[in-house]
Amino acid sequence: MSKKIGDVILDLQNISLRFGGVKALTDISFNVREHEIRAIIGPNGAGKSSMLNVINGVYHPQEGKIFWRGKERKRMEPHMAAQQNIARTFQNIALFKGMSVLDNIMTGRMTKMKANFIEHALWFGRAKSEELAHRRKVEEVIDFLEIQHIRKTPVGRLPYGLQKRVELGRALAAEPSMLLLDEPMAGMNVEEKQDMCRFILDVNDQFGTTIVLIEHDMGVVMDISDRVVVLDYGKKIGDGEPEEVKNNEEVIKAYLGAGH
Amino acid sequence: MLYREAGQFKTTYAADQQLFPIRQDRIGLLLLLAVAFVGVPVLASEYWFSAILIPFLIFSLAALGLNILTGYAGQLSLGTAAFMAVGAYAAYNFQLRVEGIPILVSFICAGLTAAAVGILFGLPSLRIKGFYLAVATLAAQFFIVWCLTKFPWLSNHSSSGVISAQDIVIMGFNFDTPVSKYLLVLAIVSVMALAAKNLVRSSTGRAWMAVRDMDVAASVIGIKLMPTKLLAFAVSSFYCGVAGALYAFCYLGSVEPDGFSLDMSFKILFMIIIGGVGSILGCFLGAAFILLLPIFLDFTLPGVAELFGLPFSNATVSHIQILIFGALIMFFLIVEPHGLARLWQIAKEKLRLWPFPH
Repeated sequence: MSKKIGDVILDLQNISLRFGGVKALTDISFNVREHEIRAIIGPNGAGKSSMLNVINGVYHPQEGKIFWRGKERKRMEPHMAAQQNIARTFQNIALFKGMSVLDNIMTGRMTKMKANFIEHALWFGRAKSEELAHRRKVEEVIDFLEIQHIRKTPVGRLPYGLQKRVELGRALAAEPSMLLLDEPMAGMNVEEKQDMCRFILDVNDQFGTTIVLIEHDMGVVMDISDRVVVLDYGKKIGDGEPEEVKNNEEVIKAYLGAGH
Repeated sequence: MLYREAGQFKTTYAADQQLFPIRQDRIGLLLLLAVAFVGVPVLASEYWFSAILIPFLIFSLAALGLNILTGYAGQLSLGTAAFMAVGAYAAYNFQLRVEGIPILVSFICAGLTAAAVGILFGLPSLRIKGFYLAVATLAAQFFIVWCLTKFPWLSNHSSSGVISAQDIVIMGFNFDTPVSKYLLVLAIVSVMALAAKNLVRSSTGRAWMAVRDMDVAASVIGIKLMPTKLLAFAVSSFYCGVAGALYAFCYLGSVEPDGFSLDMSFKILFMIIIGGVGSILGCFLGAAFILLLPIFLDFTLPGVAELFGLPFSNATVSHIQILIFGALIMFFLIVEPHGLARLWQIAKEKLRLWPFPH
């Protein structure tokens, strides 16, 4: 695979995050380069999800700086991350249960829609044309993820693996430049995992989307990621290419326990 | 057999996204509208208009308002009747104090006033959710009713805050007969129901539902929670406000603040629970169920009692009526917790496949 990895687009410097007396993250620095697949791994409770939440503005670190495309980022709210083209999926599926697959994925394009509610109520002006234009884009995502047959199904009725795929679809609909995936393969069987890997690699390959993912399946992580960050107890203990990380003493200790 | 979509192919997204994608639905709705606008005025009696049809339509509209807020945006509210009161008193005051203002403009202004009040009482929703929010909206219920009795200016210094609605005159035509009032209410409700349907199928509605189903995910997608929730409060209160104005002008003629009690708020809440939370059709079904069933029982129970030779007094009949009403509510909620609208939807799905099970 010959892909171009670009410059650093996200640079985190000395990030510390506390919840009261609990230190979730301590002095963590790493960066993400354009078009790469960057994995964050670590044992349970290492602070991986907190890390993603810091990146897209759900949590606000007490210390440290975040540079997005070379500019320092001020405190931001989650919806601003969407405007900066950062999309994400969640560890526990966070789909909108009462809505159909199509509507769920349409919400991913919300920030791109300009019509206001009066136009919507009267179905007038931009309301209709926008709806159709975005439907076309959403159908492309649906085709890409091979979920045409369930587009009108309420997501609550779908099996777990498909729900995960719809959630990826919702994130992709925003045409993000950076995609954060929180355990995209948790709880899946081998076949579903293979599908998901294929989709992640395709997204990266076809759209050039930068991907930051958290995953516990080491086989998957080592296979698909370009660089890996390892966290343990909120501290960074390893960073580098999969081969490097695999042979890192500290990482082995964290995963297998110190006594071995 | 009649209800099939086989052979109705959609070749454009526009065709797939129209309001009623199935042809039979479109025909059915047109027939229903034709009956409502032409058939009913010819056939129904005065009693039907003023005691059944007009209140049914007005409560459907109020239920629509509450359903937008509770069913679509997921914000529980117990202040519906209060927002209706704001609408009723606002329409009265606009008619009274603004020289030559057309009645329909008064109704719209009444809706807007209610929307403003709704936004004010919607502010707590930014911090609290669920039952706690319901209690916060309860404040609206009591505060607004108190305000209307406390400040005599609002009811033009009438005793105990009773207002008598002015005549409804549009372009020189006086809507003073029950039939004409019915047609006016029907027209307004139809237009507003259509607007509500459009709202909930557009990205405004999707934003509301996203906030309802999973607010963290909604904000990560780029939905701003505060404007979305407040818009839901505003639109919902607008609907309730217009319903309140119609309630005063087209149904009762004169209203007092205490008429818009907590009881009424609960009644409307029950309508959407029975009819279907998060369904436009459900508002109409729920309103019909809650309003018409007692009347229906009133008519049939004495006859049934006589049939079996039971010596029922009037008091017993009315107690039994309440009993049966309660039992039916429980029955429907157990059979289908998502309301009558969901039952209707299941029936339609079954019909599409009939006579095959799958």
